Amino acid sequence: MLNRREFLKAGAGLAFAAATLPVRAAQGGGHVVVVGGGVGGATAAKYLKLANPKLRVTVIEANRTYVRGYGSSEVVTGHVSMDDLNVSYDTLKSRYGIQFVFDTVVGFDPARKQLRTAGRQTLAYDKLIVSPGIRLLYDAIPGYSAAVAETRVPSGWIPGAQTALLAKQLKAMRQGGTFVLVAPPTPYRCPPGPYERAALVTEWMRRHNPTGKVIILDPKDSFITDATMQLGWHRLYGYNMPADYLKDLPASVQVKNSGRPSPIEWVRAKDGGEVEKIDARTLAVTTLQGVEKADVLNIIPPMQAGKLALDMGLTDASGWCPVDRRTFESSVHKDVFVIGDASIADAMPKSGFSANTQAKVTARAVADQLAGRTPGEPVWENTCYALAGSEYGLFVADVFRLKDGKIAQVSGQRYLPLDATPAQIRLAATYQQAWLKTFTEDCFA
Amino acid sequence: MGTLMKTPLLALAMLAFTLSPARAADPTGEAMAATCAGCHGTQGRLGTVEFMPLAGLPEAEFVRAMTDFRTGKRLSTLMGHVARGFSDREVRAMARYFASIK
Ligand SMILES: Cc1cc2nc3c(=O)[nH]c(=O)nc-3n(C[C@H](O)[C@H](O)[C@H](O)COP(=O)(O)OP(=O)(O)OC[C@H]3O[C@@H](n4cnc5c(N)ncnc54)[C@H](O)[C@@H]3O)c2cc1C
Repeated sequence: MLNRREFLKAGAGLAFAAATLPVRAAQGGGHVVVVGGGVGGATAAKYLKLANPKLRVTVIEANRTYVRGYGSSEVVTGHVSMDDLNVSYDTLKSRYGIQFVFDTVVGFDPARKQLRTAGRQTLAYDKLIVSPGIRLLYDAIPGYSAAVAETRVPSGWIPGAQTALLAKQLKAMRQGGTFVLVAPPTPYRCPPGPYERAALVTEWMRRHNPTGKVIILDPKDSFITDATMQLGWHRLYGYNMPADYLKDLPASVQVKNSGRPSPIEWVRAKDGGEVEKIDARTLAVTTLQGVEKADVLNIIPPMQAGKLALDMGLTDASGWCPVDRRTFESSVHKDVFVIGDASIADAMPKSGFSANTQAKVTARAVADQLAGRTPGEPVWENTCYALAGSEYGLFVADVFRLKDGKIAQVSGQRYLPLDATPAQIRLAATYQQAWLKTFTEDCFA
Repeated sequence: MGTLMKTPLLALAMLAFTLSPARAADPTGEAMAATCAGCHGTQGRLGTVEFMPLAGLPEAEFVRAMTDFRTGKRLSTLMGHVARGFSDREVRAMARYFASIK
């Protein structure tokens, strides 16, 4: 990979290449290039075509098949296979006439509005939508690195070989072993995700490794869905709820901590859960409270916007991409839009659902701008179903609006009520599984 | 957690507050309907049975469902929360959009 200066230089040298490979805006529409064919990029491409079938839409994507992250913790517990995560681009091509270039973007010239790929193609755009996802900062934890993640201590937060490795390690773990999950600091992709993964591993252990144990080490004191998730752990696995959560339960919800050690433990920042370093050989994890020896170690490190965003100069000091919240046009480059996990979207969680509704608002705004119209009032939504067990569902659900130039939640209560009925809980789990299908269709078909 | 809303009534009070006239304009019916598509299908068209397909739904039926979700009259998992994010006028605009999809 080129460094950032080389990256921009590679873009700036495009003049003659472009002359040999002219790309003109199609009549009656314009050419929109989308970089990254993940949740955000695929949805944007599809909804651009729905907004105006005359638009020419080209997606540049590194891989021929998308590997979905949502639902990928189910691979770890063997509920689904790696193949089940694969999503094809065929329908986007055949039904909507979206063009795909399977290649990696390595150069960018914002002045000429051109991109260059590793395969030496040059593409000119009228509007550019970038949805590059995240980059994991393995090196932020002393003792951890990309090489360690690929061989010994998988992260599996960008689905792929590390997800498969983690599944293999869990299966091979000794009876009575300890599965340690290191949770990330905010902001990060899929806020309930680490805790859902820990829950599914705990459920798996009850069946296959009943004396085994799950420990979550956390640099935070709270997380999205924390109360409902822990109530689920309590009911399913005998988890002891911390006193500060117990006191917020409605009177009708009966919770009695057994006091016995629970098969799942959550060590918060205030209890010394922040990790200082790891020893990749012995799988010893040093926290402020001491040393935890893992048999399987799963680290979800801090993260930032995908490397492409950094290379294109779209990030700010936070490592994420500042945008005009109405359209998600980059605050740095005109006619370039950044959506999905990589963008700074205030109250919106970094989730697939968020990326999907951002893509729709941005696709509509881009189509409007190209047609000389002013984009309308935006509205976004996020719904993340999560599992405390395979038949115990919960969620966070929000509607978002633009308020004083920022994105604000306007729908009030966001979680499954703590006094939800067994039917609501069971249904939420059913809906979580159904959503995996309907959501994939809305993005990719 | 301390801010969890205890009753739908309180939620409605908050809705009235958040949807005060300070906001410029309503999003279009199409734009609002697009936020439903992750579960209810693109343009409300859906093959699977778990979720309700919304395409072609009579306007009155959509409005009644959203209103009952919002007040809690109809029990739901998360539709109550989602419905509280839209005003009566917006719900009617969404209803018109879905009814127009064949
Ligand atoms: C375990 C887990 C569980 C999750 N569960 C949920 C859930 O229940 N609900 C939910 O809403 N979300 C969930 N998510 C989060 C969801 O997967 C992400 O938020 C979503 O994928 C973000 O979309 P995106 O478009 O920003 O990035 P991505 O989907 O990651 O897409 C980025 C794409 O860009 C491509 N790309 C990057 N750089 C280049 C380049 N230089 N050239 C060409 N292509 C490039 C990549 O190949 C990739 O295809 C979960 C995630 C995980 C890991």
